[in-house]
Amino acid sequence: MTDAETTDAGISGRTALPVAEAATLARRIAENVERVIVGQRDAIEHILIAILSRGHLLLDDVPGVGKTMLARATARSLDCSFKRVQFTPDLLPSDVTGVNVFNQKTREFEFQPGPVFANVVLGDEINRAPPKTQSALLEAMEETQVTVDGETRPLPDPFTVIATQNDIETGRTYELPMAEIDRFMKKLHLGYPDEASETEMLGRVVGNHPIESLEPVAAVEDLRKAQRTVAAVEVSQPVRSYVTRLAGYTRDHAELGVSPRGSIALLRASQARAVLDEREYVIPDDVQAEATTVLSHRVLAGGAGAGRTVVEDALDSVPVE
Amino acid sequence: MSGASGGRGGGLGDGEATDAGGATGARWKGVRHPGMVGIALLTFSYVSVLYHVTDVVGGSATMAVVVAGSAVAAAALGRFMRIRTALFVGGALVIGGMGVYVLSVPASSRALFTVGRVVADTVALLTGLSVLRLTNAGVWALAIAPAPVFLSVCLALRGRYGWAVAVGGGALLFFILTGDADSATTLVGVIGAAAAVGFETMNVRGGVAAELDTLAVVVAAMIVLSAVLSVVPGGAAEPLLPDRGVGTVESNVVSSSEEVTVVGSIRLSPKVRFTVESDDPEYWQTGAYNRYTGSQWVRTDTARPYQGRLDGPPGESRPLVQTVTARTEMDALPAAWKPVAVDGRTADTAKVTRQGGLVAGDAVLANESYTVRSEVAQYTEEQLRRSGTDYPGTLGEDYTQLPDSTPDRVRDRAAEVAGDEENAYDKAVAIEEYLESNKGYTLNVEEPDGDVADEFLFEMDAGYCTYFATTMVVMLRAEGVPARFVTGYTPGERVGENEWVVRGLNAHAWVEVYFPDVGWVRFDPTPSDPRVSTESARLDQARQDGEPGVDTNETRRDDDSETPTPTPTETETPDPDETPTPDDGDDGTPNGSDGNASDGIDPNGTGGSDVRTPAFTPAPNDGGGGDPPADDGPSLPSRETLGVWLALLVGLVAGARRVDAAERAYRFFWLRHQRRRETPERDVERAYARLERLLEKRYRPRKPGETPRAYLRALSNVGLDPRAERVGRAYERARYGRGVTREEAETAIDDVDALVRSRGRDGARTGR
Repeated sequence: MTDAETTDAGISGRTALPVAEAATLARRIAENVERVIVGQRDAIEHILIAILSRGHLLLDDVPGVGKTMLARATARSLDCSFKRVQFTPDLLPSDVTGVNVFNQKTREFEFQPGPVFANVVLGDEINRAPPKTQSALLEAMEETQVTVDGETRPLPDPFTVIATQNDIETGRTYELPMAEIDRFMKKLHLGYPDEASETEMLGRVVGNHPIESLEPVAAVEDLRKAQRTVAAVEVSQPVRSYVTRLAGYTRDHAELGVSPRGSIALLRASQARAVLDEREYVIPDDVQAEATTVLSHRVLAGGAGAGRTVVEDALDSVPVE
Repeated sequence: MSGASGGRGGGLGDGEATDAGGATGARWKGVRHPGMVGIALLTFSYVSVLYHVTDVVGGSATMAVVVAGSAVAAAALGRFMRIRTALFVGGALVIGGMGVYVLSVPASSRALFTVGRVVADTVALLTGLSVLRLTNAGVWALAIAPAPVFLSVCLALRGRYGWAVAVGGGALLFFILTGDADSATTLVGVIGAAAAVGFETMNVRGGVAAELDTLAVVVAAMIVLSAVLSVVPGGAAEPLLPDRGVGTVESNVVSSSEEVTVVGSIRLSPKVRFTVESDDPEYWQTGAYNRYTGSQWVRTDTARPYQGRLDGPPGESRPLVQTVTARTEMDALPAAWKPVAVDGRTADTAKVTRQGGLVAGDAVLANESYTVRSEVAQYTEEQLRRSGTDYPGTLGEDYTQLPDSTPDRVRDRAAEVAGDEENAYDKAVAIEEYLESNKGYTLNVEEPDGDVADEFLFEMDAGYCTYFATTMVVMLRAEGVPARFVTGYTPGERVGENEWVVRGLNAHAWVEVYFPDVGWVRFDPTPSDPRVSTESARLDQARQDGEPGVDTNETRRDDDSETPTPTPTETETPDPDETPTPDDGDDGTPNGSDGNASDGIDPNGTGGSDVRTPAFTPAPNDGGGGDPPADDGPSLPSRETLGVWLALLVGLVAGARRVDAAERAYRFFWLRHQRRRETPERDVERAYARLERLLEKRYRPRKPGETPRAYLRALSNVGLDPRAERVGRAYERARYGRGVTREEAETAIDDVDALVRSRGRDGARTGR
């Protein structure tokens, strides 16, 4: 993270942005998204963190609170490609990944990429699709590549899936298994906007919807550099130990605790959080800020929301050292 | 801990009794509390003081009735009465009691009651004036007893243990201040008070066992407290610990002027106290005591200022002028009985006791002189025999007071010895001779537990002047002869025609018997030979040891080097040569004519009826006699003392453990001093740890899951110094980040140093 690296940033895409610039970039994106999405600054930050730390996001919410708009606005601000898949019970895996189509002219099979080939993929109501289709998406998420008819194709970089779940109408849904839920870095609740935000939002949608006029504020290349910045953020031994102890606590206090994958996700998210705070190292505060959204859905305990309680207990009682 | 379990048992017992009486559930609950036992102990402590007073002056049966009545009334009314009403009743009892007391005081004394006088008396009481010195102490005790008993029982029944303890504690404190409550009584009372409050508190918290170390601490604190409290009023005469050190006869009988406590082993001080120029040798009296408590002599009533010439003895007398020159500072005015006038600076502050003696207002400074004119009664034995029993005023009763608890065998023995004699004089002589011939003289005695006279008569073989005099007075009083206990000095060493050197070892106690139309006549039951030989041996030893202040220019005729033997003093005994004193004539002119009453001062071999060794001839070959008093070196402390010390030690250890004394001390220094370590990171981490410790003391500790940053931010909302946040950032860099520079580390340490230093000022400002 020296000045020398910054100056020859143009030479290759392998360099990272200085932390301050990465933080500014993130702030710029967040402010841009906020022109469309009102009163969801926290959610916007979480999405940015997921993107910066190469993670994926699960939005767990009722319809109509702006999940899609949030994803679209983010993608647009990033100057990224954006695709949306509406999951339905009859959706096939190939509808997601793409399919080899026989081209009559060239007499060859030609790969027709599915909606997963985009920088930001919105998978709406993922729990309505059958497990096979779900797993196609989830595999893409994990591997950042897709294999169709034995041929492996890399997905674009950056690649972030924002999946939504609708918990209200549970009829004809396929609940995501824990193993697959684990692959989402974060699970968020947007919730309803507060009164002031909603009024403000209504004012903005009258006439032209602001999303139409939203301009990209970040180049994809900058985003990749910022991702490298995040990956380079230092995590000291006390912080690593803290993350481990948090995970350990959930394992001791729930039926199913946080997996090592969860610990890694927490660490990555914390790194991104540190960058947003213009820091080159993670402090326990970053871990605490990320723990709830990163860990809660990985903890299985009793009823709904119990996982979150366990994580909050962990934050309260695991000593920070 | 037996107290705790016994306390619970007692509390339950109370409860059962009450329940049997058909009390309500609320009442049951109130009495069942073990705190009630504490209140009972506390009440017992000050009631025992009052009971002791009535025991001494009479009325102990009435006292028992009054106290029991108050307690029963409180128990009966406590249920219904509101607190305010109870307080009102308590106040009424106090006022009513005081009214009764005022009415009981003779009209002549009552005329003296002015606001100023009452205030002065109260202050006197609260600064160590024993209640026993009140003229009507018995009535006073009876009048004052109901109020605190009633109030504290009432309040305790209503569950107001704090108030009940305040009332009882106030009463006890009063007696502690007057010096009437001894260490044991104080300890019982303080333990009771602590138990009342403690048990109630523990009841709330639950579990006596869990608080054992607290109890140990409390008990130790109580021992210290009671020891310290009981030391306040009496000064040197009161013990800090049960095992009081070995005092001197002088400090025992002369220095504590208002009362004399009979103690155990005692020493002789060889220091020269004063010199007297007088035509005749006399016993130089410093105090007379009328009230006997069984272990103490008390002078009742306060002294009034000396305002010119006093009355002489009722009968014939001859004037005697003495010029006393103090050699060390003195707080007494030794003078031959009976003093009638005093001159010099001393006269301005001198006071006259109710008993007719002189006491010094201000101390007499070293080398200061005063002149006393005394009227020495002149009488013959025949006169005394015929004087009858027509005592003026209440003198007959006042000077025959004995504690109710005086054992019958003392009275029996007195009747055996003197019952057959028909007049007071013969009785006195008989008793004096009995004591002289049946008891030995020693300074090493075990302090008696019960009544001194009883112990001395039946349990002890030997004692010193205080024992002889006390016992003689008690026996005389048992026989209905008015007598009193008198302290002072024997004439001392004659060094000139009419000059006498008096040392500390001349301090003495003797007896005076009242004869109508004659006045107070001296009797000395202490065997003089052994006493004198002990005194002279002590003096020899002091000279040998080269103790300072033992001799004056007149007495020291030989150099120490020339007097290596233990018996060097033949040359300095002028007494044999100076036997011209007129008091040995047969005509009985001076008071010493009867021999019995003046054994101590009769010069060599010319005594009256008895042939005795002269008082002031140092027994030449009795060198060993004085040794015992000298070896007052360290001996093994008594079991009680060891027990007290052990309890203290246990308490200290438990207390130290309780408050983590070692860790606290460590932390104290740890917080203030930081040594530079090898790396700046370590320094910053330690600086932050100190900061956190500081904030923990001032605000609150950091919660387990709270990050340093969140902690400091939370505290900054309540006005944290910005430097603290700076230290916090440095700590984050040092611990989680890529390290800090040496300069940053120094800044952090300086910041914390400054914060630690500013803490004291903050604390003072906020009264924290």
